[in-house]
Amino acid sequence: MPDFLKGFGLFCVALCGFAASPVHAAGDLLVAPTRVVLDGSRGTEVVLNNIGAEPATYRISLEIKRMTAAGGLDEIAEADATPAERAALDMIAFSPRRVTLPPNQPQVIRVGVRIPEGTPPGEYRAHMLFRAVPDAAPATASEVAKPASTGVSIALTPIYGITIPVIVRVGNLGAEASIGEAWVADTADGPAFNFGLTRTGNRSVYGDIEVTRPGVSEPLLVARGIAVYPEVGARAVSLRVPPELAEKLKGPVRIRYSEDREVGGGTIDQVDRVVK
Amino acid sequence: MRKFGMKRAVLGAAIAALAMNASAAHAATATGTATAKILRQITLTNTSALQYATIISGATASTVSVSTSGAATCGAGLTCTGTTTAANFDVQGTSGAVVLVGGDSSVTLNGSLGGTMTSSLTYSSANITLGATGGSFQVGGTLNVGANQTAGDYTGTFNVTANYQ
Repeated sequence: MPDFLKGFGLFCVALCGFAASPVHAAGDLLVAPTRVVLDGSRGTEVVLNNIGAEPATYRISLEIKRMTAAGGLDEIAEADATPAERAALDMIAFSPRRVTLPPNQPQVIRVGVRIPEGTPPGEYRAHMLFRAVPDAAPATASEVAKPASTGVSIALTPIYGITIPVIVRVGNLGAEASIGEAWVADTADGPAFNFGLTRTGNRSVYGDIEVTRPGVSEPLLVARGIAVYPEVGARAVSLRVPPELAEKLKGPVRIRYSEDREVGGGTIDQVDRVVK
Repeated sequence: MRKFGMKRAVLGAAIAALAMNASAAHAATATGTATAKILRQITLTNTSALQYATIISGATASTVSVSTSGAATCGAGLTCTGTTTAANFDVQGTSGAVVLVGGDSSVTLNGSLGGTMTSSLTYSSANITLGATGGSFQVGGTLNVGANQTAGDYTGTFNVTANYQ
């Protein structure tokens, strides 16, 4: 514990430096780490920090999300959960679930796992949601924007938060992935670099994508933290890129999908493609 | 003593560079070691609200749109005053990290003097790739204003999440 506190103090120094950017709204938040993998019975800790200018109350909960073929995460109501998703919610324990923090006050959320006897091998996952509980609509809003007698004024309050995956692995699991065709296409919001990822095995794959031009050491594009979850066998990856980069990406490239640097950074798949 | 000072400097550099040089803190000397575990982090800050400003309704139903860049389109029969803005969220984290953007696709607003309105919501992107200075996404929308919509202050809340995968 003292060791942890020492580390934490230093960690806070880093955070406070990072959070020095302008802050306005109540409910702004920081979460670290950004992904939790638990195997066996050991738990872990997640740090939540109030980086807003006002005290805020945060709620922490577990949500079920399913990956789509397009690479998004669909929110699933608890009533529609599969037995495996239900099991994930039941085996992940965490505390506290609600906390009020003054500005720049970090809070450790302890995350534990209880794997019941006889749980079939597999990967169980829930997404931990951190978000501020909204205050009652601020009285000042109506004073500032008093409507004309025939007018309407609008105050829309976002309730915003961060989710990180909490993954529990039971048994000996393995997975492989391969990179499909790659192309550049225009979307409504500008050009995007697209490729497919196919997955086999009984767990998710997770890692970083690096696109390089043969003979050029500086990568053209780096995209970190791309997952293919077990509920999909394949997904599309569509990354928005600036127009000048979109032009540069066309032609022969090498695409490498590597494991997270924290677990060694080994290559999952590497292919040469000609991007159209 | 001097050595200790050196070490602190090395450690300070490690913290300044966040995760990059963390291993430098494990200097290979036999005396007292200091370790710092640097965790990857994500921050989400809301820097502007989705503002439809003030609208004076007309005799027929119409709409007001605010694009994700904040530009307003005032529908036929309506009078719109004030400055409109799209909601903006800044995200910071590991450079290169891909963050998925999620949220409600519509919101219901309740008036202080009765009446309701609905607004659809549009997001500037389904995912963002963070650069060295982070990234941002915007939320715009289209507000459905009824014929002779009851005057008053309309309020509503909508959910937005930044999701690591």
